[in-house]
Amino acid sequence: MKLASLFGIEAAAFLLIIGETYLFFNFVVPLGSIPHSPIDYTGLALLKLALIIGLVAVWFVVMIGLTRAYVRAKVKFAPRPSS
Amino acid sequence: MPLGLAEVGLLLLSFAVPLVAVLAGLPPFLRYLIRNGWTSDDAHKTLQTKVPEPAGPVLFLAALVGEIVVAIGFNSWVPVAVSLGAGVAFAVGLADDLFVLGGKTKPLLLLFAGLAFAGIVVIIPDLYQPVITFPILGDTAPHLTIYTVLAVVAFPVVSNAFNMMDAFNGEISWFTLLTSLALLVGVSLHGAYASGFSLARVGATLPLVAVAGGFLLFNRYPSRAFDGDSGSLMFGAMFAGLAITGGVEIAAIIAIIPAILNSFYTLSSVRGFVERRRMPSRPTYIGSDGLLYPSTEPGAPNTLARLVLLAGALSEKDLVRDLIYLTLVACLFSVAISVLTWVI
Repeated sequence: MKLASLFGIEAAAFLLIIGETYLFFNFVVPLGSIPHSPIDYTGLALLKLALIIGLVAVWFVVMIGLTRAYVRAKVKFAPRPSS
Repeated sequence: MPLGLAEVGLLLLSFAVPLVAVLAGLPPFLRYLIRNGWTSDDAHKTLQTKVPEPAGPVLFLAALVGEIVVAIGFNSWVPVAVSLGAGVAFAVGLADDLFVLGGKTKPLLLLFAGLAFAGIVVIIPDLYQPVITFPILGDTAPHLTIYTVLAVVAFPVVSNAFNMMDAFNGEISWFTLLTSLALLVGVSLHGAYASGFSLARVGATLPLVAVAGGFLLFNRYPSRAFDGDSGSLMFGAMFAGLAITGGVEIAAIIAIIPAILNSFYTLSSVRGFVERRRMPSRPTYIGSDGLLYPSTEPGAPNTLARLVLLAGALSEKDLVRDLIYLTLVACLFSVAISVLTWVI
């Protein structure tokens, strides 16, 4: 089945979207300041920003990795018109 | 919740009216477009073929009529908010059809679609619930500010994703039809299993299904009509608005994974927002045998179609069939998520 690899990439995107959205809304957004902690309001905002960028980066890195692997495997045998 | 006869009649009407509007309104409008030279080259044919474009104005008016039926019939503001967002996206798309906007201008202008939609919250505070419901795990805590920001940003993102799925005969109409059906399942299950859920939110989804289904008859291979950016951006904005008002954000995102991947591939390979007419090379090309081939140029933009073609050259019709399979799988994931979220 020639679409199997693309179905796999789709499934990976599906699982990552669900997992990362859950992490975002349940862990990153509710992060509150901890009493007597050295992390102040600005530090907390920066920490949240870093975590959000991290979540997005994970999605990007996994998707780029999977796609590059797919393209590398296929491009050598890419069809060309016979002329 | 059991439905009364009047409610069933209203739901049928909100599906039938936009469908009839597309089927009756599109043929004369297409003749008008041809008479006035509003045609585009069908890029994936060996023989030069002209197709009337844009059909977007009729598609938008048909969807608007359907939403008006829902708004009056169910006495709801939800269709007004959805229509406002879709209307702004349609206007941006029409401006692009007529004058060609820049690659960065379009997404920025589309933010106004999200702002127009979210602005209705001033009139109707429960337009959307600022929570995300996860399958099995349930609701997150409410986060109005963050949710609203994400809702506004969703409009340009989703509209552009739909727009990028508008490259081949029948691709956008099949894609919109399948994803809107998955959305309808999600919103219906939400309505059936959650208390206090207005039926208007289900009804508001039906015009999108009807318009996409009606347009498919004209847009399928070989296309007799192209929707233009006015049509595809409007479809995307409507989908975003309906997903938010229906409270089925996760299922909606899952359904449009092929479009998300397609946008991601394109944006990451051309490194930013570039208008498609200004891209240095095409992702696919047509061979003398009439089949579509993937570009093997190193700088060629990546698209989902190019990835499919890397596995073997295909006719346009077969390529769209494969893209439909990818969409169908995503829609099945989406329906599974909806069942896990609302039924189990």
